[in-house]
Amino acid sequence: MDIEVLEERVETTLVLLPVSRLDSANARAFEGIVMDHVRAGELNIIVDFSRLIFISSSGMRVLLIAAKQIQAKQGKLALSDMHPNIREIFAISGFDQIISIYDSRAEALAA
Amino acid sequence: MCERLKIELNAKLSELRTLPGPVEQFGEAYNLGLKMNFVINLALEELITNTVIHGQFDNLGQPRIYIDLRVENQTVFLVVESDGRPFDPTQDTHPDTTSELDSRPIGGLGLHLVKSQADRISYAYINDRNRLQLEYDIVPE
Repeated sequence: MDIEVLEERVETTLVLLPVSRLDSANARAFEGIVMDHVRAGELNIIVDFSRLIFISSSGMRVLLIAAKQIQAKQGKLALSDMHPNIREIFAISGFDQIISIYDSRAEALAA
Repeated sequence: MCERLKIELNAKLSELRTLPGPVEQFGEAYNLGLKMNFVINLALEELITNTVIHGQFDNLGQPRIYIDLRVENQTVFLVVESDGRPFDPTQDTHPDTTSELDSRPIGGLGLHLVKSQADRISYAYINDRNRLQLEYDIVPE
């Protein structure tokens, strides 16, 4: 199943906005989109969660893979604008200790 | 108001998207709130995905999954039954949630999320089905 991902560019940073749900049905499609950007050399990526209402471990897995690959290239993956329900599962999983999470996209860009 | 929500589906990932709508309607009927709706949807997604990917169905043909959601005494009861060989998710080991990014293992988080968010959880294998019951206490938002 496909996923809609909006893309915006702010100077050298690529901002990705997945829309609606990121779950086992479309995680593979999302992984393809993100990793295509990583392979193309994007080193600063923000995933803005403001359009996302649901994520499961299948979607979180893609972000972990991307964060590892980007860090290996000395780049940075940051996440922003999470709904509190989503923020909570990033805390339970300990992802908030290894991937930078900001309250807003502006804060992520300024970091 | 619906007394309980019962859904049967084939053990296929493509069936997962049929669940959020009825779960949301059930939650609205009981005024469960957005947080509980999210938690129930996450539990269903993780448990069913786990069953579809890791379940051992032998020669069952098309295995089925049976969902039963009800509210009793300020508690949400979510029962998920599935065909297949016994698998007790409550015995699953605790995943690594502390190591650094470059050494953090990928995967194994789904059941951990489900168990972390439930107030009580119990497993039984009855009539050739895995039966997992999750309980969530209703806390006013």
